[in-house]
Amino acid sequence: MTSLFINDQEVEVTPGTSILEACRENGVDVPYFCYHPELSVAANCRMCLVEIEGWKKPAASCCTPVSEGMKVKTATESLEKDRQMVMEYLLINHPLDCPVCDQGGGCKLQDYAIEHGASKGRYAEPKRAVVNYDLGPFVNTCMTRCIHCTRCVRFADEVAGTGDIGILNRSDHMTINGIVEEALESELSGNLPDICPVGALLDKPSLDVSRPWEMTHHNSTCTQCPNGCDIQIESRGDEIMRIQPVEGSPEPWICDRGRYVYDSFRSDHRILEPKVRRDGKLESADWGEAFSRTSELLKGKKVGILFSPYWSVEGQTSIRLMRDALFPDARVAYDLHRRDMRAFAFEEGLSMTTAQIADADQVVVLGCDLRQRLPLLMQRLRKRGNAGKPVSRIGAMNYRTNMDISNDAIIRPRDWPAVIARAMEQVAQMGKTAAGFDAWVGAVDGRHEAGKLLADALMSDSCALLVGEEVRGHADAAALIYGLDLLMRACGHAEADNDGRNLIPEGMNTQVLSATFGDVRVSAGELFAAASAGELDALILVGSDPVGDGLFPSAAKAALARVPLVQVGAVSGQISEYAAVQLPAAAYAEIEGTFVNMEGRIRVAGNPIKSLGQERPLWKVMMRMVQVMGGEVPVVNLDELRQATRERMPALAGAWDASEQDSILVAPGRNKGNELLPVSVSDSFELDVVSRYSLYREGMWARASDLLSEAGNIHAMDDVLVHPDTLAKAGLSAGEHTVHTFLGEASYYIGVRDDVSPGVLFVAKRGVGGDLSDVSAASIKGGSQ
Amino acid sequence: MSAESICSDAVRFSDERLAEIKTLVARYPSAQSALMPVLYMAQEDFGYISMDAQKMIAEVLGLRLMQVREVVTFYTMFREQPCGTYLLEVCTNAGCMLNGANELVAHMCDSLGINVGETTPDGLFTVTEVECAGACGGAPVVQVNNAYHEKVTPEFIDALITEKRAEGAE
Amino acid sequence: MAISSDPRQVKQICFDRIDIPHVNTLKVAREHGAYEFLPTVLKDFDTARIIDEVKTSGLRGRGGAGFPTGLKWSFVPRNTGKPTYLLCNADEGEPGTFKDRDIMRFDPHLLIEGMIMAGFALGVKDAYIYVRGEFLHEAQVMNAAIDEAYAANLLGDDILGSGYSMNLTVHRGAGAYICGEETALIESLEGKPGRPRFKPPFPAVEGFYGCPTVVNNVETLATVPAILKFGGDWHASIGIPNNTGCKIFSVSGHVNKPGNYEVPMGTSLKTLIEDYCGGLQHGSVPKVVIPGGSSTPWLTAEHYDTPLTYDAMMKAGSMLGSGAIIVMDETADVVALSRRLAHFYAHESCGQCTPCREGTGWLKRIMNRVESGQGTEEDIQVLGDAATHMAGRTICALADGAAAPILSMLEHFPEEVRARLVEKAA
Ligand SMILES: Cc1cc2nc3c(=O)[nH]c(=O)nc-3n(C[C@H](O)[C@H](O)[C@H](O)COP(=O)(O)O)c2cc1C
Ligand code: SF4
Ligand code: FES
Repeated sequence: MTSLFINDQEVEVTPGTSILEACRENGVDVPYFCYHPELSVAANCRMCLVEIEGWKKPAASCCTPVSEGMKVKTATESLEKDRQMVMEYLLINHPLDCPVCDQGGGCKLQDYAIEHGASKGRYAEPKRAVVNYDLGPFVNTCMTRCIHCTRCVRFADEVAGTGDIGILNRSDHMTINGIVEEALESELSGNLPDICPVGALLDKPSLDVSRPWEMTHHNSTCTQCPNGCDIQIESRGDEIMRIQPVEGSPEPWICDRGRYVYDSFRSDHRILEPKVRRDGKLESADWGEAFSRTSELLKGKKVGILFSPYWSVEGQTSIRLMRDALFPDARVAYDLHRRDMRAFAFEEGLSMTTAQIADADQVVVLGCDLRQRLPLLMQRLRKRGNAGKPVSRIGAMNYRTNMDISNDAIIRPRDWPAVIARAMEQVAQMGKTAAGFDAWVGAVDGRHEAGKLLADALMSDSCALLVGEEVRGHADAAALIYGLDLLMRACGHAEADNDGRNLIPEGMNTQVLSATFGDVRVSAGELFAAASAGELDALILVGSDPVGDGLFPSAAKAALARVPLVQVGAVSGQISEYAAVQLPAAAYAEIEGTFVNMEGRIRVAGNPIKSLGQERPLWKVMMRMVQVMGGEVPVVNLDELRQATRERMPALAGAWDASEQDSILVAPGRNKGNELLPVSVSDSFELDVVSRYSLYREGMWARASDLLSEAGNIHAMDDVLVHPDTLAKAGLSAGEHTVHTFLGEASYYIGVRDDVSPGVLFVAKRGVGGDLSDVSAASIKGGSQ
Repeated sequence: MSAESICSDAVRFSDERLAEIKTLVARYPSAQSALMPVLYMAQEDFGYISMDAQKMIAEVLGLRLMQVREVVTFYTMFREQPCGTYLLEVCTNAGCMLNGANELVAHMCDSLGINVGETTPDGLFTVTEVECAGACGGAPVVQVNNAYHEKVTPEFIDALITEKRAEGAE
Repeated sequence: MAISSDPRQVKQICFDRIDIPHVNTLKVAREHGAYEFLPTVLKDFDTARIIDEVKTSGLRGRGGAGFPTGLKWSFVPRNTGKPTYLLCNADEGEPGTFKDRDIMRFDPHLLIEGMIMAGFALGVKDAYIYVRGEFLHEAQVMNAAIDEAYAANLLGDDILGSGYSMNLTVHRGAGAYICGEETALIESLEGKPGRPRFKPPFPAVEGFYGCPTVVNNVETLATVPAILKFGGDWHASIGIPNNTGCKIFSVSGHVNKPGNYEVPMGTSLKTLIEDYCGGLQHGSVPKVVIPGGSSTPWLTAEHYDTPLTYDAMMKAGSMLGSGAIIVMDETADVVALSRRLAHFYAHESCGQCTPCREGTGWLKRIMNRVESGQGTEEDIQVLGDAATHMAGRTICALADGAAAPILSMLEHFPEEVRARLVEKAA
């Protein structure tokens, strides 16, 4: 440790810390603009000057490292004069339009002007005017207000990785600018207004809508992806105005999906009151009518239950309790992207924290568009890439990543066994093996060179595998995951403290899901098949939209055409047209609830915003359902519900004890003894179908948000894509073609892209691809027109 | 780095240039270092560095367009706009100012009928003031298309204008 | 070195061969001693010995800051696993300075030889000369000389069979004074806008592409061959202690024979102007002398006798800087001069630091008004405040340079400034 004196007070900090950080750590206030704890140091604003004994000139504290015995003064008369002058320099060209600026009340420039500025400006010359530029649908620019701190430039470069923001010109003509014709393409763009210390970059959707002081704040957890970021919801009355990251949380940023999804909270797609279908139309009803209709449809019937993982842990438990009380034989599905429901060798969820992944020697991403799927983890990988640490990738497409991937292989999903077998052979040659290797390798015919990339990475001291949905959604997923598990064990990564087995889940709370539903779960496809086959009388859908999302839209439509649907949830989505009854359940921001993210980190939300309509917490809806249908109500309050949750999931025992929460990490489960060998499939269709997850349009919340939909259009690709060679081989080029699958034939516009693996039919827009989302193989039969 | 893949416009480096760029890049630890020399090549070949040229250069060197834009706009010797056939750059900094540079500029502008920063209607001459040319011992200094002329007199300027105009008229 | 094998007869170091016709060609340069001692250095010297000689010589950087060259070289960490780079600073942008230009266009092989020796001492494989963009001709002369040197195996692989290899590349700037600042130069050489980096880390440890890097001025490097040939002690015997050797002074402004003069350090300002430069154009004592380039504080007649050394200039309240002496006689308009320099710094600020970006523009606009007779008494106060709080509060020293002419004008000629304000009333 280095000890130094700040204003005569002796403090100790880590060697190499900057003076500014030493001050911050010790509660000493030093004003600054350009410094940001998450960005590289620029030291250009010169507001953070301090005096150091023995130095002739004041020093910028943000870029001056501490040294032993250093004596620092942060508040002297001469520093006050310096700060006053920095403020004056900054303000001479500033428009001083605080009354019309959204940043007012939350502006560093305004605050410091009051604290450090002179009472009167002395600038008598004309002021500078600066042109604005386009930063996409979420960021408004007013560059005349810019103070050139370059935080946004560093953010774009270091965090977002888009780098479209730069510094043009020099001297006082210097401007921060984007490329005029190209809007900013970043899934993290909403952070820009947050990091801009003044009103140059403002949140476009909330522009001129409200001022900071009108807001009430609610801490919550974002459930838009399994990362489960801490969020702060700002509301005015019962209306959500903004979602922002929480200072001091593990992730300093939030993605655009988590931020702008707020727009769907007040959209027409919300279910705000009970509804029943009368004469083919969904109409308002009171709770009584809705429940009696529900009872008619479900009581004593054979039902299937499908729900979405975005509900809180308590909500999920209540679904299980409802099932056990009313439909003890009911099968339950919660995953729209998993075809193979056999237990995986390692369960879903990350066995490493994202910080550990960022530190690992090697990271391999297997079959995942990580930038769309987990933008914040991607951001960490990008940072690690900038630091020269490798990130490799195997998958069906060279997904755009904004970073240099050190090793890249594109493969067809059917190649996975050959990739893994190839890797097994290579590590075996290096003397690393595990029981079961031979049998696994022996079950696979071919070998795929991409396996070398995997094996090379596995040979390092620590290796994180990020297993994505191309593997998880594979028809033979359990066997593949067993193969990966063998590899990790062979190479010594499976020991407790070095476990790199990370299976990216579909949503939040997955660790809890397998504990709560492991014994009764089926795939959504099976559930729909059962309904279509007449084995079920009705379906209960709790906040899930299998028509708009996932791998089973056709199956879902077929099933819903046959059996009635009771829909419980917060957003109506595309399935609402099938609903016989709609029961409103409160959204994640509107409840007290517990969430477990993919790393197993626990968050308990205790300060919900008010509901907009008649919606109730899900558990209350579930219990009421039990009650109206004459079941025995298992829990009557939140404490009892949590107790029931604890019983099923002992890892959560301390979850509601504030002192223990932070130390709990719920690890994903391990399943020994499912030694599954890959089965070879017949090649009746020559193309493997892979569909893309888009953060702007996946999930009913995102689709209910106009803001995200608008951004999704900017980022859109052709709906269906193949590698140019795939078409060329058949003598075709981009255009309308007939696609043949086991569901039949249909015509699609097929575009081409070099970064799709040959032999893959890539569905870039799920849902639009229609039936294509349901299948895993297809062939193109030539132009239909 | 084949010529076809780069740009279908007129703004495209010749194959010789591309070969030259390849050797140039090899002299530096990273291709980005070759940006300034490549910008000079573009300016030489195309007269100025248009947005299309900047895009093409970004592609040739594997840079983002913004990286090119930042450099083009930072350095005063890179021009994004065309200028006259003869660019007359007069140093008016201290050494030259003390030896009559301002009077020289006034004389030039008078003779050519333009203001500083403008180009004559026939497209022959552009006059600009520049910062210290690093030849103060020969003040006042005028660069004509980057060739230094020292101890420049109004007579020299007049002769130059007459000569170039005559050439231009041919 | 060339003309005389007796070091006592060497009067000039960098300009020793300057008047020899065609000495820019390898043949003529070799006839006059170029590369004569290089084989001995490559064979018999090692890093420690070279650095020792340079330390003993007392050579201080000629680029402006006067930092001891041997000491700078000794900061370069060895065996980092990264390459070490040598960058020659030939950006020569400081108003008033034009000495490096003459070395490059007349005796390029002297610089090349100095760079090979410095490169050898530092284990450099790739060296670059960063020449200001306007010096197209000089860059061409350098390139021609480098080509000849490659052909003669003085550069490239296994130089003269010594086992040491070094590449040398000329890189042109493009009109940005700030690129003379060493970290801005590095940024520029990396293909970026030339915006200075804060220190630490120092370039010696983390410079060009994050690798150990030495940046030296042309004149500094051109002095190295003589030091190694005749010994550090010899160099230290010229001039006065702590200010050893010769220095090229670029004299411009109101003198009868402006130009470059290489004289032993310690020669007085007055001697230089009167004996070498043919005296002033008008009058007998200068009104203002800027002794080290436009960024250094002004001296007046009172300091006409000051010896040309780093220490004496500091004592007189200014700096030796790059040795660019701008002289103004009694006819000078100090307000116009100050206005012109304010314009220069406002144009050249890289724009990153608040005080410099906004301050230089502000000073320029106020000076425009003051010069045209529209200044007010308050402007004087503002000029002083704005200049004072720029200096020493920014990443690089450009802001100090921008403040100097304003503060000097206010200090030495307040009445002249006030007289301009009066014009307004009239
Ligand atoms: C604004 C500014 C401009 C500079 N311009 C030059 C220059 O044109 N040439 C130069 O050699 N040094 C220049 N310097 C000094 C360099 O930063 C650096 O100190 C020098 O190149 C080191 O070489 P030396 O040790 O051989 O003097 C400048 C410094 C500043 C702050
Ligand atoms: S002082 Fe001026 S020139 Fe130097 S780094 Fe700061 S802004 Fe740039
Ligand atoms: S915070 Fe240190 S200079 Fe801006």
